[in-house]
Amino acid sequence: MMARQLVLAISPPPEPTFENFAPGANAELLARLREMASGALRESVLYLWGERGCGRSHLLQATLRVAMRARLAVRDDVDRLDEAAQIALFNLINEARESGGCVLAAGPCPPAQLALRADVRSRLGWGLVYQVQPLSDAEKAVTLRAEAERRGLRITDEVLWYLLNHVRRDLPSLFAILDELDRKSLERQRPITLPLVRESLRGLDM
Amino acid sequence: MQHLWDACLRRLEQELPAQQFNTWIRPLALDAAASDPGSLTLLAPNRFVLELVRDRFGERIRRFAGEAAPQPVEIHIVLARSPDPAPRPAARTNGHTPPTLERARLNPAFSFESFVAGKANQLARAAALQVAENPGISYNPLFVYGGVGLGKTHLVQAIGNALAAHRPAAKIRYCHAEQYVTDVVRAYQQRSFEEFKRYYHSLDLLLIDDIQFISNKGRTQEEFFYAFNALVEAHKQIVITCDTYPKEIAGMEERLISRFGWGLTVAIEPPELEMRVAIVLKKADAEGVPLSEEIAFFIAKHIRSNVRELEGGLKKVLAFSRFNNRELSLDLAKEALRDILNVASRQITVENIQKTVAEFFKLKLSDMHSKKRSRNVARPRQVAMALAKDLTQMSLPEIGDAFGGRDHTTVLHACRTISTLRKQDQSLNRDYLVLEQVLKG
Repeated sequence: MMARQLVLAISPPPEPTFENFAPGANAELLARLREMASGALRESVLYLWGERGCGRSHLLQATLRVAMRARLAVRDDVDRLDEAAQIALFNLINEARESGGCVLAAGPCPPAQLALRADVRSRLGWGLVYQVQPLSDAEKAVTLRAEAERRGLRITDEVLWYLLNHVRRDLPSLFAILDELDRKSLERQRPITLPLVRESLRGLDM
Repeated sequence: MQHLWDACLRRLEQELPAQQFNTWIRPLALDAAASDPGSLTLLAPNRFVLELVRDRFGERIRRFAGEAAPQPVEIHIVLARSPDPAPRPAARTNGHTPPTLERARLNPAFSFESFVAGKANQLARAAALQVAENPGISYNPLFVYGGVGLGKTHLVQAIGNALAAHRPAAKIRYCHAEQYVTDVVRAYQQRSFEEFKRYYHSLDLLLIDDIQFISNKGRTQEEFFYAFNALVEAHKQIVITCDTYPKEIAGMEERLISRFGWGLTVAIEPPELEMRVAIVLKKADAEGVPLSEEIAFFIAKHIRSNVRELEGGLKKVLAFSRFNNRELSLDLAKEALRDILNVASRQITVENIQKTVAEFFKLKLSDMHSKKRSRNVARPRQVAMALAKDLTQMSLPEIGDAFGGRDHTTVLHACRTISTLRKQDQSLNRDYLVLEQVLKG
């Protein structure tokens, strides 16, 4: 314990962009978002949904980052909007449709299943609705390896597949484990091996 | 330059399947005035054709033109100047809209012509037509209610547009109730109530949408009450829409509720299948896209909740076709809508139905399984059974089991009873339709 190496947090997560989003089966959605950002999309409402960790927020922020149009409104986690915020979103969508603005919204499920006011729900389903398709395991392996390389970590295939078989497989969870492995391997001055992975997972309670 | 374009057309006609040629290439027109030997300008009738031709055939057209000319030819494809047929409200701000409609805040795309009529809305449509022809005389107010996304806004704006067309001097105002609230608040802050009153009381036709938005807003309701009285007394027409019928609006003053019932109250119900097909076809037509009935039928069959989501479904199919450079087909529609289809089929379970029905009728969930036979429990239970039969693939014995181990003949009896009652009892029919809409999302 005494010999523990102290680790500085010097590897902030990269800013969300279109370039660092692993596209998987979401090519069409990405094309739409780029159109929306550049003002080329004719549609005033785009709603995207997917399970936790699928990259919704990443995509919203990436779109906002490169948005050239002034009248783009973004609402993440619409399922958590209170009554007043729902009415604001209702007005926003009406306005966008009337005067050529754009609303980009995201939530955990398709519009029809959102526990929101019915008039907001149906408006979210009015435009284009896309599910953010989760990556396949093979695509996750590629993404995870790329992220490891970005951090200067070397991980073996064995470790990679162990992770994909033993923990929640959304990218934020996988990246969180990578963080922990990064820290542990620096602390211990040890390469990332299976025993280290097992120990880290115990520590993370995963 | 016409000969150059004709040469291209001949080559394209040889190379492309007839359907593609007729759908995408034939609608293009040469803009001779803007073309010269080094460049051709082609006019596309709508954006969809424009984008698709540019993405898919642009390169080929350029090549063919180059082959027919002594020099390389540039190709420009632009939108023809005629107004965009798509119901794009943004058109309002571009200066082409007549000033009457601009002042009235009406969207010219919402006309009676573009409104798809069917069993679900025929009464409301007939009443709206009457009101547009004889404002202030036939029904005052006209109160149109129904679930979300069924075309209430379209219908009331159609009244405004029709009146504006045959009486251009009429003072018309379309106003969402939320906007009305904002106007009241502003008048309050700026102490300009007199002006506010003068304006609203001077209208010939006031179209107020989603009146439920003024629920629990005392000051707004008071102002609306005065406006209502002033207009009705002067035989000026008021048209109101709402998500429910007058007596059921929560948080609304009694004197307003009773006034809402003075004229005619009509419902818009969710569209049946044939009408949904017609709506999809009409929307596709407005986009300038030829859509087969088979595809329209597929979309309409699977998206049943409301017209907005129907429109969203069509857009999804068109966007998918464009992105993947694939022609519209049934298979393509299935692929484009697979998220929606999976979700819908997963969503409706008997537990879900029981919970929704119990909540709707303010019963306990256990009442759905209990042996109680009092009317106020038994009727909702029958409604739930009928919904389970309509909306799930379960067998009658399975449904019986799910309702506290009842016999399948009990379920059958429930289904028949509800079916008969729906024809006789409007309010039960409405409850049933609302529940169906809630369950289907």
